[in-house]
Amino acid sequence: MDENRFDEVIRDLPQSFPTPPGPPLDEMWGVIEDAHFNSPTSIGRPRGMTSRAPWLAAAAALVIGVGIGHYLPLGKQSATNPTSSSAIASSQGLPPGADTSAVADAYRDQTTHYLGQAAALLISLPAKEASSKADASFAGEAADLLVTTRLLMDSPAAQDPKLRSLLEDLELVLVQIARLRGERNKGDLDLIRQAVEQGDVMSRLNSAVVTTQSSE
Amino acid sequence: MNETQLIAQVIAGDRLAGRALYDMHASRVYSLAYRLTGDSEKAREFTQDAFIRAFARLSQFRGDAAFSTWLHRIVVTVVSNARRSEIRFGREVALDEAHSIEITTPEAEPDLKECIARAVENLSEAYRTTLIMHDIEGYTHAEIAGILGVPEGTSKSRLSAARAQLREVLAAFKE
Repeated sequence: MDENRFDEVIRDLPQSFPTPPGPPLDEMWGVIEDAHFNSPTSIGRPRGMTSRAPWLAAAAALVIGVGIGHYLPLGKQSATNPTSSSAIASSQGLPPGADTSAVADAYRDQTTHYLGQAAALLISLPAKEASSKADASFAGEAADLLVTTRLLMDSPAAQDPKLRSLLEDLELVLVQIARLRGERNKGDLDLIRQAVEQGDVMSRLNSAVVTTQSSE
Repeated sequence: MNETQLIAQVIAGDRLAGRALYDMHASRVYSLAYRLTGDSEKAREFTQDAFIRAFARLSQFRGDAAFSTWLHRIVVTVVSNARRSEIRFGREVALDEAHSIEITTPEAEPDLKECIARAVENLSEAYRTTLIMHDIEGYTHAEIAGILGVPEGTSKSRLSAARAQLREVLAAFKE
């Protein structure tokens, strides 16, 4: 093939491939609308929880506070990671001199605990395929984890870009699992599994668990 | 209502605004997904996935780039992730299917279209995406640079390299 012929090939490249068929706009919108607007725990989150739902922010602070209180070792001395500690102090409104490293430890413990729970849920996903009755409790677990996911996304724990990206992908997967509470289509679990595979969620989750555990 | 207002309405939970925003972009997103995958079912699935992800993260959209650029970046990422996953899976399947592939391979010389399709498919992900976006879907280098998050010069050099590889493969083709 000479140069002129090759130029023709490049010029005619669009004709060398099948023309895209008309997009099934309504069908696709049905899925998108269902996932985004009809989800029991809607995916769309307001910009900063405090802007539109102060009560939600208060509830979030309470839940995180209770969690941290549970893990917080009394009298622990401030030691490492001053950057993240100061970020936590400022974002949590802690008074100057507060034991921020203990708070950072508490966040890490909470995150490790959460990541372990998320991994366990996703690992058990294939086994649930045959049991539609188990969907409700499975979806319930996902909905609980979804709340934690969103709290962590609004916490200093999400300052790590890798963890934040993982939390965002987990949020999407958990929303889909939480929807299994209602009638589910035959392909719902396949779609969830694809979302897990496409985002390489399991290996990133395992890696995050190892990372957070090794920093303890 | 302009696009910025629509985005704000979608963040507030307005599904009609969501549909309007979707209608503005869905056809082009689907077309790109189809060109990148060559499969209408996958194009449908990836378009849905891209919009679901985009709506879920809409509050993070800062307006630094055009919404269409941001949305197209999501669909390219979704398709790339899926292809990587398929390639990983394909390697495992390939050994099992090697025998049947050998049997079904036609003896006749493939026609030009088939040869081009195979050559494009064998390009690296970055070259292939750039070539498809520019030479098939008609995106400008500025658009490609924005969507792929690379300098415009990188888009140009990738296209040039992709064409060079294509030229090399097709040089041996006799019509």
